[in-house]
Amino acid sequence: MVVDVYAETGMIIGLETHVQLNTKSKMFCSCPNSGDDVPNTRTCEVCIGAPGSKPLLNKAVIDKAMSVAIALNCTVNKRMTFDRKSYFYPDMGKNYQITQFDTPLGSDGYLLVNGKKVRITRIHMEEDPAKLVHVGGSIVSSDYVDVDYNRSGTPLIEIVTEPDLRSPEEAREYLRELVSILEHLGVFDSGDFTLKSDCNISIKGGERVEVKNVSGLKNVELALRYELIRQRNLVKRGQIISRETRQFNPDGNTTHLLRTKESEMDYGYIVDPDLPWLVLNDGDVKRVSVSLPELPAGRVKRFIKDYKMNEEQAKTIVGDKALADFFESCVKGYKKPDYVASWIDTQLLKCLNFNKQSIRKSKVTPESFMELINLMDSGVITERLGKELIKEFVSTGVSPKAIVAKQGLGLKTDSELAKVIKQVLKDNPIEVNDKSINYLIGQVVRATKGQADPNKVRELIKKSI
Amino acid sequence: MVDESLVRKVAGIARLSLSDEEVKTFTRQFDDIISWFNEISEIDTKGVEPSFHPLKTENVFRDDVVKPCLTQEESLVNTSHKEGGFFKGPRAV
Amino acid sequence: MIASDFVRDVKAGKIKLEKFYSDFFNDLRKLDKSYDCFINICEEDAFKQLENLPKGKLYGLPVSVKDAICTKGIPTTGGSKMLESYKPTFDATVIKRIKASGGVIVGKTCMDEFGLGGFSTNCAFKIPKNPNDVNRVTGGSSGGAGVVTRALDSPHIGIAESTGGSITCPAAFCGVYGLTPTYGRVSRYGLLDYASSLDKIGVMAKSVSDISLMISVIAGLDSNDLTSRPEPVPDYSKSVSVKGMTIGVPKEYFGEGVSKDVSDSVWRSIKKLESQGVSVKEVSLKMTKHSLPAYYLVAMSEVSTNLAKLCGMRYGLELPLNKDDGFNEYFSRVRALGFGPEAKRRIILGTYARMSGYRSQYYLQAMKVRTLIINDFKRALKGVDALVAPSMPVVAPRFDEVSKLTPLENYKMDVLTVAPNLAGVPHLSVPCGEVRGLPVGLQLIGDYLEEKKLLDLGGAL
Repeated sequence: MVVDVYAETGMIIGLETHVQLNTKSKMFCSCPNSGDDVPNTRTCEVCIGAPGSKPLLNKAVIDKAMSVAIALNCTVNKRMTFDRKSYFYPDMGKNYQITQFDTPLGSDGYLLVNGKKVRITRIHMEEDPAKLVHVGGSIVSSDYVDVDYNRSGTPLIEIVTEPDLRSPEEAREYLRELVSILEHLGVFDSGDFTLKSDCNISIKGGERVEVKNVSGLKNVELALRYELIRQRNLVKRGQIISRETRQFNPDGNTTHLLRTKESEMDYGYIVDPDLPWLVLNDGDVKRVSVSLPELPAGRVKRFIKDYKMNEEQAKTIVGDKALADFFESCVKGYKKPDYVASWIDTQLLKCLNFNKQSIRKSKVTPESFMELINLMDSGVITERLGKELIKEFVSTGVSPKAIVAKQGLGLKTDSELAKVIKQVLKDNPIEVNDKSINYLIGQVVRATKGQADPNKVRELIKKSI
Repeated sequence: MVDESLVRKVAGIARLSLSDEEVKTFTRQFDDIISWFNEISEIDTKGVEPSFHPLKTENVFRDDVVKPCLTQEESLVNTSHKEGGFFKGPRAV
Repeated sequence: MIASDFVRDVKAGKIKLEKFYSDFFNDLRKLDKSYDCFINICEEDAFKQLENLPKGKLYGLPVSVKDAICTKGIPTTGGSKMLESYKPTFDATVIKRIKASGGVIVGKTCMDEFGLGGFSTNCAFKIPKNPNDVNRVTGGSSGGAGVVTRALDSPHIGIAESTGGSITCPAAFCGVYGLTPTYGRVSRYGLLDYASSLDKIGVMAKSVSDISLMISVIAGLDSNDLTSRPEPVPDYSKSVSVKGMTIGVPKEYFGEGVSKDVSDSVWRSIKKLESQGVSVKEVSLKMTKHSLPAYYLVAMSEVSTNLAKLCGMRYGLELPLNKDDGFNEYFSRVRALGFGPEAKRRIILGTYARMSGYRSQYYLQAMKVRTLIINDFKRALKGVDALVAPSMPVVAPRFDEVSKLTPLENYKMDVLTVAPNLAGVPHLSVPCGEVRGLPVGLQLIGDYLEEKKLLDLGGAL
């Protein structure tokens, strides 16, 4: 789809993204926040809502949430309560969720997406409900549910944007930027924790539709693309798009209706009396501000300056924190960081994508990757061979040195080359001059299956005559 | 004025199935009670902050430390609706 | 025999616990048969405790516990069918502290379902009878605790709980002492929630000395309850003379609706304090008449959220799961079956009070009126050590009288107790005579964390 098409539909998109924070323990109890996935082995009376239990607020949740609010340029609320949002659902421990309704932690912030300001309406803290497994079908057709409370009580921050996004692709870009910031802040790990968005979309002539609970980044783009087409078709047929809530089906990349506006929920918010007021002062905000780690925007600038990368390369690499960390480990003390950067940006990423891996899950380490770089640098293999070798290296994890040794892939030594040259000259009894030498070099390279440096071959041929 | 449809609506939100008899009785009783509640509207609370807690209480936390939790069996001990280590519940739609 | 003397004798070997408890449980069962005061008698668990009893302040002392407080592995029902089978996986903090001091948990006492009631007639299992006259109510919601404390001959202290007056009322109607501490003085961890900003665990006993002993064991900061007070716990045992203290008498607490007999009893006690060198002055608590609707709005709003977790999953009453029921139908059926009528009323009213469109005029307005009530007490307590007033407007009514009351009339009986409970100030109900053979109680109301003064004054009566 082209940008013009979006403008013509009058599409506007807003996202409400729920991010699981990477604290050690849960938000209101000391159960481990990640780990064993055997069902109901990371629970206690608090997170299953057992009568008599009381919530105990984890200080780290506040510190991490504050760093997000500050990094997203929000005004930090200095006086806050936690609130009870009441609704009944099988994944709830108490049939109310502890959240922040009246007094969100942050407001009026923004995030830059390709230079465009996407406004952040609010950021607040709340707890995650349990995980449901719909037994005997999908959510609509199952007979009953199985519930795992391991996830119940995981701390979340919810980040709400104004409807400033203009396309499904832009929405995905926004999330990509957001994830990069969250990872650089050290509050989120894409490997172990999840990010889910409620996507709000409306087009000209229609009311706002919400697609709830879409996991990850790609699905957000797919859900929005589907909604755009669905809504445009409705408008074309003269039908009304009314306020409703829908669910995304990752199986077919479609959405279906959950509830209409008429059955909108009344959450009956009250302040949670079990939790004291949260009162911050300017000192608290300053302390967090000055100790913020390097954020993506700053890191991109530094990569351009210190490593002589171009902007696009820098943005690509910094956009995935694990990759940026990988890069910096690689180039520690190495004289040609831009060379490494371009190899990462092109060849490594290509192989990772082909294997559907992220750098954090792959078997590639900075040590083994630099082995490859050094093999090329020291002339043991050519770049062309390097491009072949990296494919095997990424998919098997076997060290480049080992692959070279096993397959005898190293560049031939001078004495080996001399033998080959002798044979080639014998097979090609022509005069050796500036015109014919390239042909002869080509023959030698072919005979050695690329394991010959053309410059070295030229030198040796000249010597031999 | 409290009428039966309001009582049914609120009972629905609270997930309480009421018999027709109960709806009738509650409607009568609630009419009384809510009129009595309405008296507090007459109190001037302009500029008064609400007291969600009776005594001032601020900034009490727990450190981010993991402690032992329940075993799967302990977690499930108070219900008969369980299978394969999961809690069982009614379908979600 | 006061509890501390009992403990002393046990430690000295004069009382053998195994023998004592064999007799004790026979008495307890007889008591329960006469007055229907226990939901569960914990004989087996008590003897297990004896096997390894810490020699602390409560060594060997029988302690009964209102069934709203979690005892690990022992049914904790809240007086409700909804939790008939609930066996908590943890002990409430007060239980842990009592056990660590050598106290023996002997039984779980009857109560109005989840604390919702003023006469203990809303208990799903048994309705306790007043030992002074079995045709009369015990008061609520800690009725069972009131009965056991009053009628048991053996040394014993009762653990109870108050949200709007549930310690004061049964203490007054049964004729025993009842301390409702400052909100947060005693940890709520393990207390089944009625209204989280109002609930307080407290003590019922036959003497001020017993109250002091128990409160010194259970009070104090608990990291498992973020609302528990961090202020240090004073030494409650050293009683001081009340000479030179001043008490305030709020005129609104002696107005119409309060029976003359009750008023007179209370004034006789005030005179007794005067004769001991206590000055008396009249004060005003002008927010008194607004306290009732404000209290009920706050309490109902909070309880409607606290009871939402009871829905036929994870714990409590369950129905068979069948594919035809979606979650809404299933939850609605279970809850209709498990809750009694008063619980249903308060859940619905509480849901209403915080619905969008009504939240401002009911829930928020009530919270603002609460501020005015708190300020009212601050003003009235300025320059006095405590306030004195009747605990209840009448003596214990008969069952047939109570059954004729409408829900609203029920609520209005709490007129003298809801305000101090809303404000979270500590109050001690003290027996102060009888009217036609029925006990009258007076309440001493103090400023935050001034339990010691209340105990000193109560001890002087």
